[in-house]
Amino acid sequence: MPVWLREYSWRQSGSAVYLSLPLRGVRVTPANIFCTDRYLKVSIPPFLFEAILYAPIDDTSSTAKIGNGIIFFTLYKKEVAMWDSLTLPNANKEKLQYLRENAVLKAHEKAKEEAEAKKVTKQEHKKHALEATMKLEEAERKRIEDLKEKERQKVTKELELWKKQQKDAEKQKRVQKEGELYQVEQLKEKKKEKINKTRIPNEGTSKTRLKPTKGCYGSYSMFSENLKEEQLPAPRSAATIRINFTSRVFPTALRESCVAEEEEWLRKQAEARRAISADLSELEDLKEEEKNPDWLKNKGNKMFATGNYLAAVNAYNLAVRLNNKLPLLYLNRAACHLKLRNLHKAIEDSSKALELLTPPVPDNENARVKAYVRRGTAFCQLELYTEGLQDYEAALKIDPKNKTIEKDAEKIRHLIQGTTQDS
Amino acid sequence: MSAAGLERPQLVSHVQQALSYTLFDCKWVPRSARLLCLGSAARGTGLLQLYELRGGRLALLREIEKAKPIKCGTFGATSLQQRYLATGDFGGNLNIWNLEVPEIPVYSVKGHKEIINSIDGVGGLGIGEGAPEIVTGSRDGTVKVWDPRQKDTPVANMEPVQGESKRDCWTVTFGNAYNQEERVVCAGYDNGDIKLFDLKTMSLRWETNIKNGVCSLEFDRKDVNMNKLVATSLEGKFHVFDMRTQHPTKGFASVSEKAQKSTIWQVRHLPQNRDIFMTSGGAGSLHLWKYEYPAQRSKKDSEGAEMGVAGSVSLLQNVTLSTQPISSLDWSPDKKGLCVCGAFDQTVRVLIVTKLNKV
Repeated sequence: MPVWLREYSWRQSGSAVYLSLPLRGVRVTPANIFCTDRYLKVSIPPFLFEAILYAPIDDTSSTAKIGNGIIFFTLYKKEVAMWDSLTLPNANKEKLQYLRENAVLKAHEKAKEEAEAKKVTKQEHKKHALEATMKLEEAERKRIEDLKEKERQKVTKELELWKKQQKDAEKQKRVQKEGELYQVEQLKEKKKEKINKTRIPNEGTSKTRLKPTKGCYGSYSMFSENLKEEQLPAPRSAATIRINFTSRVFPTALRESCVAEEEEWLRKQAEARRAISADLSELEDLKEEEKNPDWLKNKGNKMFATGNYLAAVNAYNLAVRLNNKLPLLYLNRAACHLKLRNLHKAIEDSSKALELLTPPVPDNENARVKAYVRRGTAFCQLELYTEGLQDYEAALKIDPKNKTIEKDAEKIRHLIQGTTQDS
Repeated sequence: MSAAGLERPQLVSHVQQALSYTLFDCKWVPRSARLLCLGSAARGTGLLQLYELRGGRLALLREIEKAKPIKCGTFGATSLQQRYLATGDFGGNLNIWNLEVPEIPVYSVKGHKEIINSIDGVGGLGIGEGAPEIVTGSRDGTVKVWDPRQKDTPVANMEPVQGESKRDCWTVTFGNAYNQEERVVCAGYDNGDIKLFDLKTMSLRWETNIKNGVCSLEFDRKDVNMNKLVATSLEGKFHVFDMRTQHPTKGFASVSEKAQKSTIWQVRHLPQNRDIFMTSGGAGSLHLWKYEYPAQRSKKDSEGAEMGVAGSVSLLQNVTLSTQPISSLDWSPDKKGLCVCGAFDQTVRVLIVTKLNKV
């Protein structure tokens, strides 16, 4: 149950009502005051004050002043008249209820309208601001364009002026030179009578050389050419300078080679040579040279050449134990296994070799071709013709000019087609 | 744009002309407002067009067609009165033309077996001293120096040793021609080699390798004691070598700059100020640079030998004109700041660089 505040005092003038409501000890905020055109409510729980006004007021312009434990309302009447009392006299409960609800609704609507109006004005403001900035930017741009245009025009004018100057200068020079030439020719005529033949051959040669020159410059160019001729040194005696070009590990220019890959390959090679696998305990009783994978590889190659495949395999096995990063060991062991018809082992070894032969660079082309061919052969002998063909085609891609690989690939293709037709 | 930005030199585009052929080289005709465009027509013949700058446009004065496409040309070895053009073409022929009578060349020789990539001339135009000479560099790996008074044989020939695989020579330039005897030729190759040949002693004076192919070389002045050499290469790098001090093992000091991601096709020094140069790039851009000298140009190393100190390079301005590479660039020797550039989008553009006096 709220506590009704009934101690209020009011007075009125023709157009306004002044209401003062004492609220001792209670803090009031604007949110506690609710006012519409016929209804005024101040609610600060548990206190409550409400008044159904005698006549409508203009609630937008009315004010409430909060301070010193008192609220002072200034309510502007809609119609200028004197009120008999602040509130409506006979207000029954239902009417009160109805009025209250109405008031609330009205307040809501007003709030909504206000919000809408605010939105609209905000939009307009934004638009206006945007237009203003656009105009500013446009002005700035134009200013710069104008500056540039002015520069351009200035420069064009200067250019034209300069051209004119050139033309004038040329004309002047021409006139001058012609005058001089005439004078010199006169002098020459006089001199010629005295000078001996040595002068003439010189002039003669220069004249024939300058025959192709035509145009108005020809006449006095001869004059200046003559002088210069005697000052120019003779043509150099012919000589050749032989040069060398900077050498590179790979013979292609930087832009042509795949440097990154080649560097990687070189690095891998270097590492592989340095790698020494563990397991030296059993090998202590071997001779020094037998611990060198390269020497073992050579031994293996020799035995392969003589046809002693098992021994070759042994040599390669030992070499691999010492250094499992040399692709050539696996490659050669694959060849041995092929001859021994250990086809699965051959496939394994060729695959390992191919793994070690990445990245693909021109340097390890040969090795890769061999690896593919050997693996392909092993697949075919196992009657896995499609895999075999894949490997042969890979080999062909690296080395398209190899005829034997081409022929073999063809054969396999026929075989595949033959078997598919049969089945 | 700030006020400071407007104080820097501006690259203002003055005239643009679309052409109907591939443009390889463009050159100003000395002492005139005329320029020459050299290139290759669609049907595989060479084309020479002479334009004059009139008002705001280029007016075509002459068009000359030749049998083989023309790759490069120079006025460097002729006198100011004659103004003969020396050209190198796709067939390896060096020709010198009188543009008034272009039917028959004044001098012609089949100098190389393959296309002449680059040509330079020295001793003419009233610049420098000594005999006029022309140097050509070709795809066949040789660099040859010609004297227009001597027919058929070059006066100097720089070729690979017997059995050495050849590398394309992409650019050549003259330098150090400050008196009648001294002269050097610098050549750049596609594997990044730069070689400096001394023609007085007929020997290789210095060589280095800048890893990427050398697209363009230029001394800042041909007719003074070697001062600076700019070498541009693929992948957007260029090097400025200080040529005053040569160290016995380290050679010349250099500073390098990576301007852009694409190839730098050309470098050209401003004839009126040798510390300003422009580079043109594969992305159609032009960059204007200024070189600043260090406080001390040489210092002594640990053994007491003199070695050079390279300065620094700063970018003054850049502009992108085209989407295709700008393959040729030439400053006008008569008007400061006027330059022409030709790009592979078959347009020739005349630009004016402003405010060069204030730099």
